[in-house]
Amino acid sequence: MLHIKIINSKKEKIKIKRAENFLSSSKFGAIIYFIGTVRNINQNKKVTGITYDSKDSIVIKSFKKIYKEAKTKLKIKNNSVFIEHVKGYVPIKEKSIIIGVACAHRNEAYKLSRYIIEQIKKRTPIWKKEHYGNKKSSWLKGISIKK
Amino acid sequence: MDQSRRITIIFKRNFLIMKVIVELYGATKDLSNKNFLEFKLKNKSSIKDIKFEILKLIDRKFKGNKNYKKIIKNSAFCSEDDNIISDNYIISKNQTIGIIPPIGGG
Repeated sequence: MLHIKIINSKKEKIKIKRAENFLSSSKFGAIIYFIGTVRNINQNKKVTGITYDSKDSIVIKSFKKIYKEAKTKLKIKNNSVFIEHVKGYVPIKEKSIIIGVACAHRNEAYKLSRYIIEQIKKRTPIWKKEHYGNKKSSWLKGISIKK
Repeated sequence: MDQSRRITIIFKRNFLIMKVIVELYGATKDLSNKNFLEFKLKNKSSIKDIKFEILKLIDRKFKGNKNYKKIIKNSAFCSEDDNIISDNYIISKNQTIGIIPPIGGG
């Protein structure tokens, strides 16, 4: 089972409770939550928040593809995955992404969770604009996905 | 039909102009306050041609800003049906495409 959603920060927040409700099942003996948050320092600059931009249709497509690929590559049959990523402004300490993974055993859950976040970082069209204490801001350099 | 009129029609057929909208994401949003760029290009133009037009715009409006140019050179593009397309992809109709600068979410 897979749940994916892009959360508009102007309207709602990422909530662990939603992931807990989705992943709750007696089939699973291990549940891992990876939560990405906005930290206050990056490259010696004081960060006040990050604006996330995304190409939503490709993000959704990419999440589905990564999930499908992970199941095949890691050979994990019974699992449930919950992915939500924020779009818009997020102040420091708040959540930008949650990846909840439920599997029969912990080893599979750790592997699946790690695979998903690493692939999202490499392949999913999401961009970050950092805002600094001096009221300046700048888009972060990223990874080119040019063919 | 006289000869000159026939030549004009043939010329127009071969050099039809199409409107292409380029949706901007990430750092490329700094190129416009509208979140998109609009170009008029010859029919059957490629992504390479669009890139060239964007680079010309950077020269014109942003004094050839090197960072912006680097971002464009490292950007991918996506078609209306959300597939990543190569520089040789031919746009054969009036189309909206997206520019995908280097990514880094999470």
